[in-house]
Amino acid sequence: MSYLPKPVLVIGGGIAGIQAALDLADQGIQVYLVEKTPSIGGKMMQLDKTFPTLDCSACILTPKMVAVARHPNIKLLTYSEVIEVTGSAGNFNVKILKKPRYVDEEKCIGCGICFNKCPSKVPDEFNLGMSQRRAIYVPFPQAVPLKATIDKEHCIYFTKQRCRVCEKVCPTKAINYEQKPETIELNVASIVVATGYQLIDPTLAAQYGYGKYQNVYISLEFERLLSSTGPTGGEIVRRSDNKHPKNIAFIQCVCSRDVKINPNCSAFCCMASVKHSILAKEHLPNVDCTIFYMDLRAFGKGYQEFYNRAMREFGVKFMRGKPAKIEEEPETKNLIITYEDTFTGLKKTMTFDMVVLAVGVKPIYPEALKLPLSEDGYVQLKNQYLDPVLTMIDGVYTVGVAAGAKDIPDSVVQSGNAAIKASILAGGAQK
Amino acid sequence: MTYLVPQHPLQLVELGAERFSRCFNCGNCTAICPITKEKASYPRKLIRYSLLGMEDKILSSTDPWLCYYCGECSDQCPRDANPGSFMMSLRRYLTTKYDWTGFSKLMYYSKKAEVIAIIVVAAIVGSIIYLLHGPIVETRVELETFAPYLTTEIGALTVLFVLAGILLSNLYRMYRFVMRDENGNRIRVPLGFMIRDFIRIVPLHFLTQIKIKECKDRQKNWINHLIIFYGYAASFILFVPLLKFTQTNDPFLFVNPLSILGIFSTIALLYGASIAIYGRVKKTQPMWKDSHSTDWMFLILLLLTTITGILTGIFRTFGFPLPTYIMYSLHLMIAAPFLILEVPFAKWSHLAYRPFALYFESLKERYLASKR
Ligand SMILES: Cc1cc2nc3c(=O)[nH]c(=O)nc-3n(C[C@H](O)[C@H](O)[C@H](O)COP(=O)(O)OP(=O)(O)OC[C@H]3O[C@@H](n4cnc5c(N)ncnc54)[C@H](O)[C@@H]3O)c2cc1C
Ligand code: SF4
Ligand code: SF4
Ligand code: SF4
Ligand code: SF4
Repeated sequence: MSYLPKPVLVIGGGIAGIQAALDLADQGIQVYLVEKTPSIGGKMMQLDKTFPTLDCSACILTPKMVAVARHPNIKLLTYSEVIEVTGSAGNFNVKILKKPRYVDEEKCIGCGICFNKCPSKVPDEFNLGMSQRRAIYVPFPQAVPLKATIDKEHCIYFTKQRCRVCEKVCPTKAINYEQKPETIELNVASIVVATGYQLIDPTLAAQYGYGKYQNVYISLEFERLLSSTGPTGGEIVRRSDNKHPKNIAFIQCVCSRDVKINPNCSAFCCMASVKHSILAKEHLPNVDCTIFYMDLRAFGKGYQEFYNRAMREFGVKFMRGKPAKIEEEPETKNLIITYEDTFTGLKKTMTFDMVVLAVGVKPIYPEALKLPLSEDGYVQLKNQYLDPVLTMIDGVYTVGVAAGAKDIPDSVVQSGNAAIKASILAGGAQK
Repeated sequence: MTYLVPQHPLQLVELGAERFSRCFNCGNCTAICPITKEKASYPRKLIRYSLLGMEDKILSSTDPWLCYYCGECSDQCPRDANPGSFMMSLRRYLTTKYDWTGFSKLMYYSKKAEVIAIIVVAAIVGSIIYLLHGPIVETRVELETFAPYLTTEIGALTVLFVLAGILLSNLYRMYRFVMRDENGNRIRVPLGFMIRDFIRIVPLHFLTQIKIKECKDRQKNWINHLIIFYGYAASFILFVPLLKFTQTNDPFLFVNPLSILGIFSTIALLYGASIAIYGRVKKTQPMWKDSHSTDWMFLILLLLTTITGILTGIFRTFGFPLPTYIMYSLHLMIAAPFLILEVPFAKWSHLAYRPFALYFESLKERYLASKR
């Protein structure tokens, strides 16, 4: 029997897409992994540690990213986007746009000389704008592939026709300002959508004053503050005065479970905040942490124990009540939270040095696929109970947060499931 | 001991709190409300009581009367449970509970009954006028002859006393419900305090309704409330105790102080009623978004009473005898059900319940302080 499976396309290079690609490739199937940013890794790369084991997130993710890069069956297409999909299950024709990096990927060795010399400074997306990168950059040191990219919008040469410093300093002559976008056409058997999520705009919950008060943070920013590779080198300090906070409030369900903004539960933010409170205590043993919650969702293996530890071992306070507003003390830039303690029924205010909003998520999808969505804004599934990875389009599967808010272990499990489904079509088409 | 009344939440739904069972108990509404204090914390707690059917807790609470429906709670409720309209429906509910005659219940729970009651009262007044009116002089306006002063005044005073009697007895019932401690036991406060607090609280809040101003951006509302209130009070005084001087044959005199008061009260009522009707139609404010049939009926009767009053005055001033008599009869037929039904049994009783709620609350505070 000659068995030559057709290729499979995986869109999105977060943990879910990475896992799906590896599970497919390990079966001998050719995989195209398309990622729109310059590197794979997704949100997990930005996390400091993961609940409930407090593993270093990058340490468990980077080996998988390297495995993707090295795998003979995976063709990695970063800085690329799917622009057209036609055909049907077993036989999809896909057009992919490979955006120009203005750096020759073959020649670039990721030495970093160019971004040390580039004069144009830009807010760094990886640290949510809390630090700066250059116009020529790699998003983070462990990027896969480790190739520089020129951000055309901020490059002085592209905006003002002068500079070309990177070209002068590059030891391998990899800079190529004339690079053009490329279109790649593929025929694949099936598609796995793992495009993940974005955080909902926290200013929609205007009562919490994000963007207006300096010491109000969103959870992912806090994650970067905790990280030793973050903007403060792992120091928890306030934006306003660079001092350690004495107490921190975490507010749950911001832009989640609110019919006016997003009625869905974002699933992982309860545990993420419990994690943040523990890590904050590990960084600053004397800091006081209070979590304002409505219901605490500790659904996974070891999660209830993790929550119990936060409370008993670390002395994290849990306050049941959704705060109504935050006001800022103008001199100290401390934050006054007004809330009802729903256990005693008393209306109260409390002052904090720092507030972290556990902001909710919404999925992102590749437009080219025109996936039918259901009422909750997530992709519609054909059979939510018995085939929870199949979209309304046969042969198109979805995993990770794109398929519904979930944590990393659940994303990984789902990717394995989708990989099997996708591989059946890949092999079957050759019969 | 608490008795659970399973149908209680359904009654509130009927009274306008359509979505309050969506509440997931987050406390946002309590925290955002501009008038809740540390201990007087609502709406969330009251929503819990109501959803569980804890009627005793609701009956003994004065909190619903402190809320002026600014709607801040509803704007930010993450479940869109509309806690502001829940508070409104609690006030309707309490009105039906304080009232022992059962009329209030009838009016609030059945639009049909409300309309029938109004027609019946109008018909009774109509028949009395038909049977008891004096000679009809067609050559010139002789309103005094058509409606002999004594008969009308007796009628007006009867209305006044019945009204006052019902309202006072309802207030007494409110007192009985409210003056209870956490466990539902009755509490008493020495008479001296009762008198002192009464003097300190009730007249001030009855006459100024100053509490509205604690709500954000409610200056305009407060003024509007006062305009309707004083317009109404002035016309009540003019046409009940002072009827002898106002129900005259004389044409309208701008120099007469009573006429000037009359003009003021008429303009105030027309203005206030029009603003409220416009607001309710356009739903310009949260409190005008959930209009109950009694709210409409109140405004419609108020407007009609005022308009027929004005027309009577015009016909009299220009010397049309028959139209004057007919319009005056109509005026009485509309004013009577308005005064008898809407004031003690429906919306306007809140004018009395609100200041008394503050009063009872302060008595309770004294009791608790003496316990400590
Ligand atoms: C503050 C915070 C803390 C968290 N902590 C934990 C934790 O401790 N433990 C845990 O288990 N979970 C945690 N999570 C949840 C975790 O981040 C997610 O479960 C996980 O990252 C989901 O991975 P994903 O691959 O589905 O999505 P993503 O990580 O978002 O990856 C999606 C990828 O697809 C790419 N993409 C998007 N659109 C396109 C397109 N059109 N074409 C090509 N590529 C595209 C994106 O660039 C991205 O690289 C946390 C989340 C937050 C916000
Ligand atoms: S040419 Fe552009 S990318 Fe290169 S160094 Fe200058 S500004 Fe930076
Ligand atoms: S996981 Fe927790 S914080 Fe996040 S939306 Fe759900 S309940 Fe709210
Ligand atoms: S804000 Fe809404 S959901 Fe929250 S307690 Fe109040 S009514 Fe209930
Ligand atoms: S309507 Fe206004 S006053 Fe009434 S409970 Fe809500 S927030 Fe408080």
